[in-house]
Amino acid sequence: MSKPNMPIILETQNLTHVFPDGTVAIKDINLQIRTGEFVIVAGANGSGKTVLLRHLNGLIRPTKGKVLLEGEPISKNITAARKQIGLIFQDSDSQIVGQTVAEDVAFGPENLRLPPEEVDRRVKTYLEVVGLSKLAQQSPHVLSGGEKRKLAVAGVLAMQPKIIMFDEPFTGLDYPGVVQVLRQLVSLHQSGHTIILVTHELEKVLAHADRLIIIYQGKIVEDGNPQEIIGRSEQYGVRMPLGKDEGVDAMTWLK
Amino acid sequence: MAQIVLFHYFPRNSILHDMDGRVKLICMILFSVVISLVQSIPSFIILTAGLILITLLAARLPFITLLKDMKYFSILILIILLVNSFVIPGRPIPGFPLPGVTIEGVMTGLMASWRLVLIIMVCAIMTGTTSLITLKNVVEWYLRPIPLVPETRIATMINLTFVFIPVIFDTVSEMLSAQKARCVEGRRNPLKRIMFIAFPLLVQTFRRTEELILAMEARCYSDDRTRAVFATTAKDWLILAFSVLFLAVILFYPF
Ligand SMILES: Nc1ncnc2c1ncn2[C@@H]1O[C@H](COP(=O)(O)OP(=O)(O)O)[C@@H](O)[C@H]1O
Ligand SMILES: [Mg+2]
Repeated sequence: MSKPNMPIILETQNLTHVFPDGTVAIKDINLQIRTGEFVIVAGANGSGKTVLLRHLNGLIRPTKGKVLLEGEPISKNITAARKQIGLIFQDSDSQIVGQTVAEDVAFGPENLRLPPEEVDRRVKTYLEVVGLSKLAQQSPHVLSGGEKRKLAVAGVLAMQPKIIMFDEPFTGLDYPGVVQVLRQLVSLHQSGHTIILVTHELEKVLAHADRLIIIYQGKIVEDGNPQEIIGRSEQYGVRMPLGKDEGVDAMTWLK
Repeated sequence: MAQIVLFHYFPRNSILHDMDGRVKLICMILFSVVISLVQSIPSFIILTAGLILITLLAARLPFITLLKDMKYFSILILIILLVNSFVIPGRPIPGFPLPGVTIEGVMTGLMASWRLVLIIMVCAIMTGTTSLITLKNVVEWYLRPIPLVPETRIATMINLTFVFIPVIFDTVSEMLSAQKARCVEGRRNPLKRIMFIAFPLLVQTFRRTEELILAMEARCYSDDRTRAVFATTAKDWLILAFSVLFLAVILFYPF
């Protein structure tokens, strides 16, 4: 079910990116995402998913087209846009900037120049939200894969974004790790966040999504209700989840 | 990595742990200056006793454990002693079998290595009672008034260096295991084996750095960040005054 009554929060117009070597990573992407939507973007390796996400918060500038956040081009105030649109990278290791878990969460709020008491308050709050309070003074380096991803989530939440984007959040996680991240995702969505999730592991999460977008060779080839689209996913290199007979509702690792 | 704890931070509750890092750094510098100036054996003994007492009582650090780690410096100390003994001209030691060793040389060598040990102790007290984060903030604070020095950037660099060290060590050990699995031991040429590690490591580190820069941008990194707050209490000034007094006595009293 989509959310037709909610306002459009994020929009792309003819978004195209050509890398200097000539690779057309994404081509003419037109998207409208509504407040509170849970969108899954699927596609084979190299189809342009990461490049698309990185356009949405302005990490990569488009060759053509633009991104609008609440109707305004993000290029107008890129910092404000990044504050609103959190991105959790695929490789958690390379996004850790703190020597302790708490310090890593403080990084974003400190960049926003919040007063020190507010930074502390947010660090406490969001470590609590992701369940890492006990590890606050640990080196992030010693955390497990699942915990590192939770830390990345806390670091993004501490900036209090409206939209949270996840780039392949299940990669490299064991079963409990996937379940932990999944719980986090669902609860973030329930608390009103707009979620954009890139993955090809549909069987783990599709049941929770409002909408499925399939990218193939840099273009959007399917966009709509997961129930309708899922049957056509395999021709675009996205493996059909096993539980097809049981319907989309069964496609989750959350019991 | 060898388990050196000499310059590790030990989270404790002690007078020195509670101290304002800025004042602590000044005390440390004062101690180091006096250590490099003193000439008489009694002042050396008093300084040593003082530092041992500070380590045990004021800093509550595990003295014996730290002492054991001095072994990593033993070769350096031995070299200093030997070089001085032979190089400094003076009277030969009566009855000493090795020619060229002078009394003055041995004395100078002894004092030089004693100085080194004391300075290592001072550093160990500083790092043992001050977390790297605080240390970074202190450095940043002292750099602030200096024009043309981008103190925030330097502090971020110090911080990232410490974040990256364990990551790099891990990468290396992972690569070593992977290459062992492919029988790299069969290769006799040690230079080749270093190359097998160095190149992939460099490539990986650059790739990680690129990701890290993007991740920092995604979290709105800017040089204009929330600044650490320091609080100097009467206790800090008291400790500083006491250190100055103690060091002045050692330096100027004719022992
Ligand atoms: N910095 C770059 N320079 C050139 N080509 C790139 C660069 N980054 C990505 N690409 C190319 O863009 C395409 C899309 O990549 P990406 O978005 O990372 O795919 P994925 O869907 O697996 O996340 C791929 O063909 C990739 O090789
Ligand atoms: Mg990708």
